[in-house]
Amino acid sequence: MRKRRKVDLRAMPGASANAIDERFQVARPLRGLFNKVFPDHWSFLLGEIALFSFIVLLLTGTFLTLFFDPSMEEVVYNGSYAPLRGVPMSRAYESTLELSFDVRGGLIMRQMHHWAALLFMAAILIHMFRIFFTGAFRKPRELNWVIGILLFWLGFTEGFAGYSLPDDGLSGTGLRIAHAIMLSIPVAGSWVASSIFGGEFPGNGVFLPRAYILHVLLVPGILLALIGIHVGLVFKQMHTQWPGPGRTNRNVVGERMFPRYAIKQGGFFMLVFAVVALMGGLFSINPIWLFGPYEAAVVSAASQPDWYVMFLDGSTRLFPPWEIRALGYTVPPLFWPTVVLPGILTMLAVAYPFWEARKTKDNRPHNLLQRPRDVPVRTALGAMAITFYIVLTISGGNDVVAETFDISLNAMTWAGRVGLFVLPPLGYYVAYRACLGLQQHDREVLAHGVETGIIRRLPDGRFIEVHQPLSPVDDHGHPTELPYSGWVVPKKMNRLGALGPAIRGFFYPIERPAEAPVSPGHPPVTSERPRDQLEDAGRSS
Amino acid sequence: MTSDNPAGGEERACEPRSSGQASSAGGEERACEPRSSGQASSAERRGDRRRGLRARLGRAAGGTRGASGPPSRARRRLGSIVRMAAALALAGGVYSAFAPGLATAQDTPPLSGAAEEGKALFDTSCISCHGRNAQGVEDRGPSLIGVGAAAVEFQVTSGRMPMARQEAQAWRKPPQFTDDEARQLAQYIQEMGGGPEIPSGPLTPQGDDADALAHGGELYRLNCASCHTYGGGGGALSSGKSAPPLDNATERQIYAAMLSGPQNMPVFGDSQLTPDEKKQVVAYVQTLQHDQEPGGWHLGRIGPVTEGLAIFLVGVTALVFATLWIAGKS
Amino acid sequence: MTQTHEHTATTPIDADGADKTRWEIVREGAREDGIEIVHYEPPFPVPGTKGERRLQRVVAGMFLFTGLCATAFVVIYIFWPWEYNRSDTMSNLYTPMLGLTMGLALTTVGLGVMTWGKKLIPREISIQSRHDGASTPRDRQVITSTLLYMGDELGLKRRPMLGLSLLAGLAPLGAVVAAPLIGGMIEDPHKPTEPGGGSPLTTTAWADKVRLTRKDGTPIRPEEVSAGGQITVFPGVPHGATNQHADSPTLLIHLRAEDADELRRNLHRYPEDEGSVWGNFVAYSKICTHAGCPASLYEQQTNRLLCPCHQSQFLITDNAKPIFGPATRRMPMLPITVNDEGVFEATSDFKSPIGPGFWERS
Repeated sequence: MRKRRKVDLRAMPGASANAIDERFQVARPLRGLFNKVFPDHWSFLLGEIALFSFIVLLLTGTFLTLFFDPSMEEVVYNGSYAPLRGVPMSRAYESTLELSFDVRGGLIMRQMHHWAALLFMAAILIHMFRIFFTGAFRKPRELNWVIGILLFWLGFTEGFAGYSLPDDGLSGTGLRIAHAIMLSIPVAGSWVASSIFGGEFPGNGVFLPRAYILHVLLVPGILLALIGIHVGLVFKQMHTQWPGPGRTNRNVVGERMFPRYAIKQGGFFMLVFAVVALMGGLFSINPIWLFGPYEAAVVSAASQPDWYVMFLDGSTRLFPPWEIRALGYTVPPLFWPTVVLPGILTMLAVAYPFWEARKTKDNRPHNLLQRPRDVPVRTALGAMAITFYIVLTISGGNDVVAETFDISLNAMTWAGRVGLFVLPPLGYYVAYRACLGLQQHDREVLAHGVETGIIRRLPDGRFIEVHQPLSPVDDHGHPTELPYSGWVVPKKMNRLGALGPAIRGFFYPIERPAEAPVSPGHPPVTSERPRDQLEDAGRSS
Repeated sequence: MTSDNPAGGEERACEPRSSGQASSAGGEERACEPRSSGQASSAERRGDRRRGLRARLGRAAGGTRGASGPPSRARRRLGSIVRMAAALALAGGVYSAFAPGLATAQDTPPLSGAAEEGKALFDTSCISCHGRNAQGVEDRGPSLIGVGAAAVEFQVTSGRMPMARQEAQAWRKPPQFTDDEARQLAQYIQEMGGGPEIPSGPLTPQGDDADALAHGGELYRLNCASCHTYGGGGGALSSGKSAPPLDNATERQIYAAMLSGPQNMPVFGDSQLTPDEKKQVVAYVQTLQHDQEPGGWHLGRIGPVTEGLAIFLVGVTALVFATLWIAGKS
Repeated sequence: MTQTHEHTATTPIDADGADKTRWEIVREGAREDGIEIVHYEPPFPVPGTKGERRLQRVVAGMFLFTGLCATAFVVIYIFWPWEYNRSDTMSNLYTPMLGLTMGLALTTVGLGVMTWGKKLIPREISIQSRHDGASTPRDRQVITSTLLYMGDELGLKRRPMLGLSLLAGLAPLGAVVAAPLIGGMIEDPHKPTEPGGGSPLTTTAWADKVRLTRKDGTPIRPEEVSAGGQITVFPGVPHGATNQHADSPTLLIHLRAEDADELRRNLHRYPEDEGSVWGNFVAYSKICTHAGCPASLYEQQTNRLLCPCHQSQFLITDNAKPIFGPATRRMPMLPITVNDEGVFEATSDFKSPIGPGFWERS
């Protein structure tokens, strides 16, 4: 009889840990990982939205690859969607229809995939804005900024290729335009277009399988690698932080990653996934069965690319009919708004950290963030860029705007053309003045104290507002002026000024006056103190 | 011109010239000849308690009778009124004599009953822009000769006509006429100048033709989607015009629009899109109107514009609120 | 960092015999990573308070609700009628129900985990020193010397021929790798699709005697298109109406008499198109000369052709000249006539390249 080995369950974790450590020496690295300190601010989580929606994209995308067939072979549809029965279409379109109607749960996976893609790009954009406005791109993080811009363009390409895969009417029109954009490139344009598509549009059918392999293998691979480097750099260089008590350029003040920070991250991942799931189920997106299969002679009004491509559609619509014809050659008008403009915008974005460092003559490493109001030029430039982008994006949908609000289409185009040059400088000016105003207010509070809203009449008849000083007062009751330290200046009364209203939190008050003690032993002060008692208190003090 | 004389007595009675036409609102002068002003009234013979107009005027002027001197102010005034009336009567009379309407009205062939009703409606609501005989008025309304009952029924039942003002696009609004009245108007225009008519009978493919819907879809995408969008949501045309959304269009309106080509919509005659094909298109448009979206709310079927708006307004907003809750503001 | 703590890092923390608590071990260990935990506040130092139990119940409730929603998801996934049926409300609600249950499940688990993390786990403030900036001078010296010495070891300076031959030889090797990848894809845009044909970019399927057909291949007669109407026509060749001839869709328009007169007057300025109109019928390429979308919004009263993609507008009565928007070239006119059978046919291909512009297009 063989002796049965005793299995001690309680000792198993220890035994496994021992086995791993003997092979990989993980004790110290794990500790370093678990204990790593991360600063805590809501705006630091915007990049996570992009990361988590990317994971959702990978999961839903894998499901879709199990059913999608990237083939241009012509078939006749005979599935469950009656309004398309008998219609000739490509196998790619048919397999997408099958996914939507004949695969259990297929439609919600498709919709979640598409919504997650829109969310991914939106998160990249707001994350980029946060990095820009707080100055997190400065040395030593310029490379991460450049990688971020690359991630934007990779996501752009991935999304464009992805929604073109079903070969439906809307995305096929987009491909036609993409082909025309390639054609418009000087010298090599016709070769580029014909090489990528395999001949004259729509080509010999090789484009779709190429787009497929780009979308499921090549670009996700590059994305994963770059995201890994991007996050890895944050790990290595440690996250930036806002200035504040105890924070210097040489430390990070926050909490250790495990357990609290990691749990919150896990919870946030669930919430991002939840938003994608809710939108994927409750909001229809990309109803390809209504578009029909792509046919070169068919187009719909209100044809737009997905929102993150719309700024290029806008620039194309606004660009005037300027064509260069010389010596038997042509540079079509499509070249400038779709090839040159994004190139210029990318160059500007990539060069910005270096340009700003040069301009401000600042080559020191920066780990502390700057409040947008404290760098009015950068903030105003950012506002200008965002205005420019928004005008272009809205112009990308100018026919929808025209139809919805009964505005003339031609007027919308002109409004875009004029607005593109008038609104950004206006945005610059407004943002700049706003920053200066906010800075001024900060300095005022630092110099005079917090406004309490209590008006007091002096014996000589003057009215003054009582201020709660932030610093020790001198003999005359004036507070000594505090220097600005780069962080939020309290603008509302705190526990010391308990006579005031409850401190407003986001959804409910943080402190209610009754709960805030004035000093130990003193009974809590309520705001419903009768007037005469107040006056007595004033006279006796 | 009729005069109201509460004092009874002498009246400037006025009888319109009989013309065999019903009275109209606006436009036509009803020529009027007062009786000659030389008639003496019986009151004159009664002496000073005369209450007649002339007597009163004579008294007001100082009681001078037998005007041998210069006419009194009152008499002059009266005279000028009478002369004005005569001049107006002359002008009106001359116009009526030479106005073409009057002459030709007596030459038109008799209209059917429905068309007569339609004409009555037309004459009160439409002729200011489309002319007395639907021939059109320059810079106001086109001629309706030859547009057919289909066009009229489309425009009137969708409330587009009567148009509220001159502008690039006639908008769908609550109809001013009931469906029966619309058919009467349509019949009138049809009899005035001919043109395409909506066929009687069902306007959707009958029988169990599975291919009909698919064929309607193909026709819709090739011919209609470019202006009305793939989902029937309507699209912008140049310079303030638009192709309207199709969600409220009835069967007859869809058919009539294809047949008559309202405003800037092209005309799809019966030899271009056969009646069967038109019915297939009608059926397809009905699926767009009635079919439920299998994937949730369709956000207006406008496409990527609303999808992009939704991701920011719903997704990003919700998640930014979540981040505000998760992390402190520290 | 670890150099100075090397000797302490190898011995257990409580080697001096003082029995340290687990918390103290953690804190000591964190110090070795340069982390100082300066504030540590358990939310409920006294176990078993009402507040703590309430929170526990809330979090537990959330997790249980998650389980409920997730189970509902599985049940709905399996048993709800999901097969697509246009008129069936239930099956149209399949996707929304799945999304709702999945979303609720994920939301509550997220909220539960978040509440646990925010309210039940101790709050702390830790400070970690950064170790950024350049490496130590010593390290830099070592690595610089290592790299330079590697250069010496390779001996390129001593043996320059090696380096030159390497460059001369390996550069073409790089081309060997790139060549099939890029070269295999290269496709000549001007290679004729059939022998004797012209460049695909400048020719279409239209030619003399090619009939204008509907999508299903039937030919078109003049009486079939009403005045003020338009029809999309395709060349009457095999697969003429498919994407194989994506450059050939054409718009046949029947103009009203006065508009046709205006067109004929304007055509005097374009001699090559003068004979291309037949009666009041004109045919233009449907492929927009800006970016290739079908320009199909024909406004019959203003005689404008609007392209929905970028809002280029072409005036039909002026040889489809662009009058608004980014397009710069007029839409090519297809010369048409009516043959002996009474159907429309083309008399030649378009006189200028259709579609978007490109470099070689003069």
